[in-house]
Amino acid sequence: MQTYDIVIVGAGGAGMAAALNASKDPSLSVAVLSKVFPTRSHTGAAQGGMNAALAYRDPEDTVESHFFDTVKGSDYLADQDAVEFFVSGMPELVLELESMGVPYSRDEQGRIAQRPFGGASSPRCCYSADKTGHVVLHALYETCVKNGVHFLEEFNLLDIAAVDGQLQGIVAIDLRNGEIVSFRARAVVIASGGFGRVYWTRTTNATNMTGDGVAACLRAGIPVKDPEFVQFHPTGLASTGVLLSEAARGEGGILVNNKGERFMERYAPDKMELGPRDLVSRSIETEIKEGRGFGEGMKSYVLIDLRHLGAEKILERLPQVRELAMNFEGVDMIEEPVPIRPSNHYMMGGIDVVDYKTCGTAIDGLHAAGECSCISVHGANRLGGNSVSEVVFFGTQAGKAAVQTAHRRQLGATDRLEELEARWNERFDSLRSKREGASLYGIRDRMAKAMWDGVGIFRDGSSMEEAEQVVDECLEAYRGAVIGDGSRRYNTAFMNYVEVGNVLQLAKTVVMGARARTETRGAHSRQDCPSRDDANFLKHTLVSLDGGAFKIGYRPVAVTKFQPQERKY
Amino acid sequence: MAKLRYAFFPGCTLESAAGELKVSTEKTCKALGIELAEVPGWTCCGAAQIQDIDDFLGVAINARNIALAEKAGFDKMLTVCNTCTLMLRTAKKRLDEDEALRAKVNEALVPMGLRYEGTCEITHYLWALVQDYGLDNLKKRVKRPLSNLSVANFYGCHILMPPDVMGFENPRNPRSMEMLAEALGARNVDFEQRLACCGFHAIYPAECEALASNGVSCLTARAAGADCLVTPCPLCHMAIDMWQADSQKRFDADITMPVLHLPQLVGLALGFTPKEMAIDRHVVKAAPMLERKLT
Amino acid sequence: METITFNIKRFDGERTWNQEYRLPRETSTLLGCLTKIREEQDPTLNFTSNCRAAICGSCAVQVNGSAFLACETQLDALLDTYQTTTLYLEPLNHFPVVRDLVVDFAPVEKGMRKVDAWLCPSKERRDHLQSEADFHKIAKPADCILCGVCVSECRELAYDDGTYLPPAMMNKAYRFERDSRDGERGKRVLAALKNNLWKCIHCEQCSSKCPKKIPVADEVSYLRRRAIALGETKSEGARHAFSFYDDVRATGLLNETMLALRTEGLGKTVANRMPFAIRMVAAGKMNPLHAPKPVPGIESVRKLYEFSQKMEKEV
Repeated sequence: MQTYDIVIVGAGGAGMAAALNASKDPSLSVAVLSKVFPTRSHTGAAQGGMNAALAYRDPEDTVESHFFDTVKGSDYLADQDAVEFFVSGMPELVLELESMGVPYSRDEQGRIAQRPFGGASSPRCCYSADKTGHVVLHALYETCVKNGVHFLEEFNLLDIAAVDGQLQGIVAIDLRNGEIVSFRARAVVIASGGFGRVYWTRTTNATNMTGDGVAACLRAGIPVKDPEFVQFHPTGLASTGVLLSEAARGEGGILVNNKGERFMERYAPDKMELGPRDLVSRSIETEIKEGRGFGEGMKSYVLIDLRHLGAEKILERLPQVRELAMNFEGVDMIEEPVPIRPSNHYMMGGIDVVDYKTCGTAIDGLHAAGECSCISVHGANRLGGNSVSEVVFFGTQAGKAAVQTAHRRQLGATDRLEELEARWNERFDSLRSKREGASLYGIRDRMAKAMWDGVGIFRDGSSMEEAEQVVDECLEAYRGAVIGDGSRRYNTAFMNYVEVGNVLQLAKTVVMGARARTETRGAHSRQDCPSRDDANFLKHTLVSLDGGAFKIGYRPVAVTKFQPQERKY
Repeated sequence: MAKLRYAFFPGCTLESAAGELKVSTEKTCKALGIELAEVPGWTCCGAAQIQDIDDFLGVAINARNIALAEKAGFDKMLTVCNTCTLMLRTAKKRLDEDEALRAKVNEALVPMGLRYEGTCEITHYLWALVQDYGLDNLKKRVKRPLSNLSVANFYGCHILMPPDVMGFENPRNPRSMEMLAEALGARNVDFEQRLACCGFHAIYPAECEALASNGVSCLTARAAGADCLVTPCPLCHMAIDMWQADSQKRFDADITMPVLHLPQLVGLALGFTPKEMAIDRHVVKAAPMLERKLT
Repeated sequence: METITFNIKRFDGERTWNQEYRLPRETSTLLGCLTKIREEQDPTLNFTSNCRAAICGSCAVQVNGSAFLACETQLDALLDTYQTTTLYLEPLNHFPVVRDLVVDFAPVEKGMRKVDAWLCPSKERRDHLQSEADFHKIAKPADCILCGVCVSECRELAYDDGTYLPPAMMNKAYRFERDSRDGERGKRVLAALKNNLWKCIHCEQCSSKCPKKIPVADEVSYLRRRAIALGETKSEGARHAFSFYDDVRATGLLNETMLALRTEGLGKTVANRMPFAIRMVAAGKMNPLHAPKPVPGIESVRKLYEFSQKMEKEV
């Protein structure tokens, strides 16, 4: 058993922002656990930028305007006190990151460049070319190394130990030697990322975005808030789900079905392929559902054809998009249309944070920040440019708050920690020797297909009921799963086992939340309940796990300044 | 086929340590009917050194070299050194892509009666044979197929990389030397260090590394059954031939491995004697081996 | 359908062996193939990957002796490059191997400490401004994803004694040396110098194989020029470069006879190079009495030197 004052789980934008702030107090010992080398974290994949009302590009822009845009974008499900806190702090935070070394793109006057972004009424998205997440992640890592932050790389979180709302610590596996290790801590910050992998291949998310921290919190008694709100992107590459830039449509790409029809004529005769993301996504899925796609099952797709632009235009305007399709899909868009399908992109829901200022949860000592958390500032739909902002902002808050917590709390009992460590040891040992059983990957793929078909872009009561049945069966089958690797050392199969267990539990929360919410709000779009229902559903969903049973509850939304209106753009 | 004509850029080593390369290049080109006219007043290419002191100068001296060839009316310049090829091509690429740089360089050259126009391409002996002369044509000129000779091709780095400057073939798996050797009737052997670096450009500060690497090159070539290494670069030749006795000190096993310049290999197949190719001018003697292998 | 063989170097902590797997040829990335092998044939096969989109830097492996990012490499491209149906996979060079294709990246953090790979903001700086031109100086080096490809391919590291700074860290040194916001210009140059900056052999592997096309070898040249500008001209590497620089001005050609002497100094040359010199003279490769005569038009070369020295430019 190891002991630290503060343990941070995850080394992406939120985890490292927390670590930088937590390690400012030299009297405290701080460790950052990450299942990957820090710069592998998924924050690096964010391209667009980060919103902050610096009012450089548009002098009229205000924090209040960012506040309103975010609340409106959330379809009024965001907690307005939290949003106001967040957007007010962003301008200063971006400047702080700039001082830390983030190489932002610049305007002619040398100020941080800002650009327009979807749903924002002013161009307030600060960026670094199309690699904003990457440069922020690396600047945070560089500063962490500068400040001597203590990283424990390739440690995978297994469980959180808490009794009667009091944190004891966490249990993790050191992948390199296969040792199960308990960490006793006064304060823990979970910053372990989202869980887009409930849709497995149909996501733009990295393979390790399996919501390990969210599921561990769920098992420790903290509900998952608003899990049913899931953002999709219309054009993921067919075989991997990797994001194909919206520029492909912007430059005139045509969507085609297996009959060679430009099917957007049916759904958006005016805007065609340039219709809003959700409409384009639904149109593609309708084509596939009605048999006009190519391929089978999870491998179905439609085509985006850019050949009419000609080689010259493609090479001039879309060189990187072309290279991406060649490298990842093996298709040269000058010669062939590119297979695409919508892809999951972001999970608005997550660990139920009850105090937005400290990112505190219902367990004393436990904080959460980043995509794994639900504060909630995104409500039913996140605005582009608000995710990198959110992870760094609330990571910072969580890190500062963890310092206070560590000074306030004593190291607690260790009984639950010991119990969990023993249980995981037993589980690891028995899985390593187990020879026969259900295929882990088979279970995972079955779950993903059910989630995509039932609780993906299309949702209605009956399709979701079916999906929940499959998820239940998968949860059952998982008990009998086999990993097929007897090694202690770097046992990827065991890590996959833990991850699949996590996404299964989280899939269950998504489908439960979605079934119970009989309205359409933000990214949760139901065919059988097409309108928003503020009277019954202006509230957060809370799915919890209690004695092995999943339960659903609700909590009111904090409405401070902006009364709900119809959301029109 | 129209007669091939090139401005010839020998490079410094051909004037001293690698004099045998000048002999073999000139004799083989003559035998193949390729006309070489030495660029009048050429200077050192900078040898991957001068840019470490003065970046602009590194470009400018090569702009001058190319301008001299252009002035003499050539549209292609031929080199026999990997590094000369890279330095000249790098300068050319930068000058062709950067108008301001070109203007600046010409500001310096014009008072000397020179101007860089960008009309002269830079090629290497190996590329010229494969691309311009053609291996089928070369095969027809082979008088003595090297059928008993097993060669280990040591490409060197600068004939391959960086690919955006060199671009002749994929640096991860080049084939031109094997194709050429095959046309000459020789047997190619594959060996671990085919794409290794000879270390020449840091042979003083990183001597230990170069000696170790070159020793392994010799050893692995021997293990693969090679009779000799062949290289298209006089710098690789120097590092492996001239320093071989120093490399040997680091190995218990005998590493002895003669190293031939590519034009020498061509010359042997064209019927020249080893002496005519000045192979006796190497430190590691190749004569006894060649006596056995050439029939 | 054609069958592709993947011959993969395995390691379990003690034992090393090679294992063959076969897959039908189809359009897929290398990472897709590895994933398929693990999920359908052998769950004990280990490799790392995350983003699948060439930004996280997790999945670099060696194929047939050369490093690739597995997620952005098409199987067809590999088969085409190597003209084969058998691919040999190994972990990256120059990193400790953990298991199979998994390597330990902890040395990266140590390397970063050697060159202070972080911004040390200038004390005078009160605003948050940087010109577009200054941003562009750091934009390319900031693309580095720490994938380790350049480290694996570096020919100097192949036989290094462990003291050389890997190319990825040369890039870091360059990135911060060039940041107009930094208050400690020169610090990373001296750090790189201390870590054998002059040992780079300009083999161009780093620049050529970098998935982000960062011209690392050119960055090394920049660091060397900065080191010289800071007065660091006494190292063997710098003296070697100056030999070329001075010779070209004097005659247009390199004086090879004097090269060792001027690089290493009289003492070391006499002590170490006599057998070498005797070999050279014996082979007819060196004539101690011969010194190159100036090339025709040497005046114009010297004028280029003058022109460059007078020019206003960055190092």
